[in-house]
Amino acid sequence: MTSATTAHSVVEPSATTRRVAGSLVVLYAIITMIPLVWIMLTAFKSPDDAISYPPKVMFKPSLEGFCNLFTTRSRQTPEFIRSLGPPQGLCDSIARDRNMVVAGPSNYVPRFVNSLIIAFGSTLLAVALGTLSAYGFSRFRVPLKDDLLFFILSTRMMPPIAVAIPIYLMYRTIGLSDTRLGMILLYTSVNVSLAVWLLKGFIDEIPREYEEAAMIDGYTRFQAFVKVVLPQATTGIAATAIFCLIFAWNEYAFAVLLTSGNAQTAPPFIPIIIGEGGQDWPAVAAGTTLFLVPIVVFTVLLRKYLLRGITFGAVRK
Amino acid sequence: MNELSASSRITYRAVMVRPGVARRIRGLSDRTLAWLFITPTIVLLLAINIFPLLWTIYLSFTNYRANRANAPTIWLGADWYQSILTDPDIWAAMQVTAHFVIWTVVIETVLGFGLAYLIDKKFRGHGMWTTIILLPMMLSPAVVGNFWTFLYQPQIGLFNYVVAFFTGRAASSFQMLGDVTLSPWAIVIVDAWMWTPYVMLICLAGLRSIPDYIYEAAEVDRASKWRQFWSITLPMALPFIMLAVLFRGIENFKMFDMVNLLTGGGPGSTTEVASITLKRAAFESWRTGYSSAFAIILFVTVFGLANIYVKALNKVKSR
Amino acid sequence: MSLDASPTIARRDLADRVLRRGPLEALATTIIAAGVVMLMQPFSLTLYSWSFATTLFGTVMFTIVSKVRE
Repeated sequence: MTSATTAHSVVEPSATTRRVAGSLVVLYAIITMIPLVWIMLTAFKSPDDAISYPPKVMFKPSLEGFCNLFTTRSRQTPEFIRSLGPPQGLCDSIARDRNMVVAGPSNYVPRFVNSLIIAFGSTLLAVALGTLSAYGFSRFRVPLKDDLLFFILSTRMMPPIAVAIPIYLMYRTIGLSDTRLGMILLYTSVNVSLAVWLLKGFIDEIPREYEEAAMIDGYTRFQAFVKVVLPQATTGIAATAIFCLIFAWNEYAFAVLLTSGNAQTAPPFIPIIIGEGGQDWPAVAAGTTLFLVPIVVFTVLLRKYLLRGITFGAVRK
Repeated sequence: MNELSASSRITYRAVMVRPGVARRIRGLSDRTLAWLFITPTIVLLLAINIFPLLWTIYLSFTNYRANRANAPTIWLGADWYQSILTDPDIWAAMQVTAHFVIWTVVIETVLGFGLAYLIDKKFRGHGMWTTIILLPMMLSPAVVGNFWTFLYQPQIGLFNYVVAFFTGRAASSFQMLGDVTLSPWAIVIVDAWMWTPYVMLICLAGLRSIPDYIYEAAEVDRASKWRQFWSITLPMALPFIMLAVLFRGIENFKMFDMVNLLTGGGPGSTTEVASITLKRAAFESWRTGYSSAFAIILFVTVFGLANIYVKALNKVKSR
Repeated sequence: MSLDASPTIARRDLADRVLRRGPLEALATTIIAAGVVMLMQPFSLTLYSWSFATTLFGTVMFTIVSKVRE
C-alpha cells in the first residue's frame, strides 16, 4: 500500500464534496444510533411509559426497569403491605406502589457473573495458546504450515449448531454439560483460531533482529521470546484479547443450547425476563443496556484494530 | 527462510538457512520449541472441533437419538442424506436462507460501499463518525434480535411508529414479525442494520489502498470522475468487496442467533433459515442421526466457501 | 492467489503455478460455487439433490489441487 501523495494533489475532494459526504454519513450514523438510544431510554422508563402509543420521547425517568431486572417481586394485598414496616430501599418502595414486595434477588447477577467468568477465562486461555502458536507459525519452519493455519481458521467457520450437536453428547458423557469449564473450553476453541491468525500478523511485524540480537547476547530462544517479543507484542495481544472477550461475551447459540442454569450466560437470559402479562420491556432494556455498555467502551478502545480483527489480520490499514 | 541464523544479526532476511547454528545455542532446539508452542492449540482444536466432527459424521449414518441413548444404534448408510436431499421442506428452508443471504449481502454491499466511498472523502470528524457507525456490528446478535422485537411491536414499537409517520398507514395495521410477507424482510432489515458497518470497514480499506498517483494519471488523461470510478475505484476495490461479500455470505448462511430471537423461524416456517431447521431437528425433535447428516451438509458447504474465502483473503493480503 | 500464508513462498515460482495450479483452483472454486447455488436455487429439486455431491467434490478437489506445487 504505497501512496505517493503530493502536497497539493488534484485528487483531493473539494470542500463542497466533503460537506455533502459528511452530512450523508452523519445522517446515516444518527439513523443507525436510534435503535440503540431507544433501548437505553426504555431502560429508564416506567412500564406504562415504555408501552405507550405514540412512543414517548419525553418521560419521567424511573429506575423501575433496573429494580425489576435485579429483583423478583410478589403481589400482596394492600392490607398486608400496610402491615409491613417502612420500605427497604428504593426498589422496595417502587414495588409497593404497585402492590408488590421485593421477594429476593433475580437471576440476572449470577448470569452476568457467568458471562464475566466464561468470557475472561476463555479469553485468557485463547490468547495464551494463540500467542505461543502464532509465534511458532511466525518464526519457525513448520511442516504443513499453510494447511494447519487453514485448519485452524476453518474451525471458526463451522456452523455453531452443527458443532453443538456432538459437543452436547460429548459434554453429557464426560460431565461437562452446563458447567463453566465446559463453556470456557468451547469458547477457547472458537477464539483460539482468531487469536492465532491475528497474533501471527502482529508478530510478523516485529523485526527478527531484536530476537537475534538478544540471542547473541546469550538469551535462549525461549528467553528471547519472553523478554523481547512479548513486550513488543503487547498492543497486539491486548487488541486480540479484546476481540476474544467480545466474541465470548456476545455468544448465544452455544450458550442457549448447552447451558440451562448453572453456567448460563447473560445473552440467553435477557430475552426471557418476563414480567406480569408479557415481557417486562423496561427490565429487558435495562439488562440489555448493562450488557452492551462494556462492548461500546471496548469498540472505542479497539477502533484502530477493528479492521484487522474482522479480516483475521489480513488487512492491516 | 523462516528459520533464522543467529550469527548474522545485521543481514536481516537475506540470511540463508544454516540448520546447525540455532541448535548450538543453549536451550531447546527451534524444532522442539516450535512443536511445543503449536501443539497445545492443535490438541485443543482436535478435542473440541475435530473429534466431535468425526463423531457427527459417524452419527449421520445411524438412527441414534440423544433422548434415547440406550436404544440400539442401527447403521443406516446414507439414508438420512438421501431423505434430506430429496425433502421439499428442507429445500424450502434453503430457499428461505437464500432469500436472507442474497438480500442482506446486496443491501449491505451497496450501503457499505456507499458509506465507505463517502467516508473516504475525509470530511472533518470522519474518524469519530466512523466509530459510531461501527457500533452495531460489535453487539451481541442475540441481544440485538431481542431488542428489535421490541422496536417491531405493532402497537408500541418505534419502527412501526416511524413507518406510520412517513407513510400515513396506521402503526397497528402491519406486523413486521407476524406477517408471512413482511417477516422475511424484518430479519433482512435487522441484519443490514447490524452488518453494513462490517462491509463499510472492509471497503474503506480497499478504497484507501488505491494509490493517489493512479487518480493523478487519470486526471492528466482528462478521464471524467464517472469514468475514474468505474475503471479505477471499483476494480481496485473489488477484491476487498469480494472478501466482505464472501464473509457475510458464509456468516448469514449459518445465521442462527439473531433470527432465532426475532422470529424463531415463524410465522409458520417463513423465516426458518437452515440453522433453525437444524436446531429444531436436533434439540427439539432429538433426531440426532438425521440432524447430524444435515449438519454435515451445512458444514461441507461452509467449508467449501471457507476455502474460497481464504483464497480471497490471500489475494487482499498480497496488496 | 494461493493458500500460502507467507507471501515469500507465494511469490516463488509464481509463473509456474499460475500455469498449472491456477486454472485447476479456479475450476474447483467454480464447482463449489455451483454446488452452493444448486443447494439454494428455487427451480429444480433434482439440482438441489445433487448440490451436496457437487460441493463435496469441489471442496475435495480444491484441497487436492492446492497441494500441487509445480
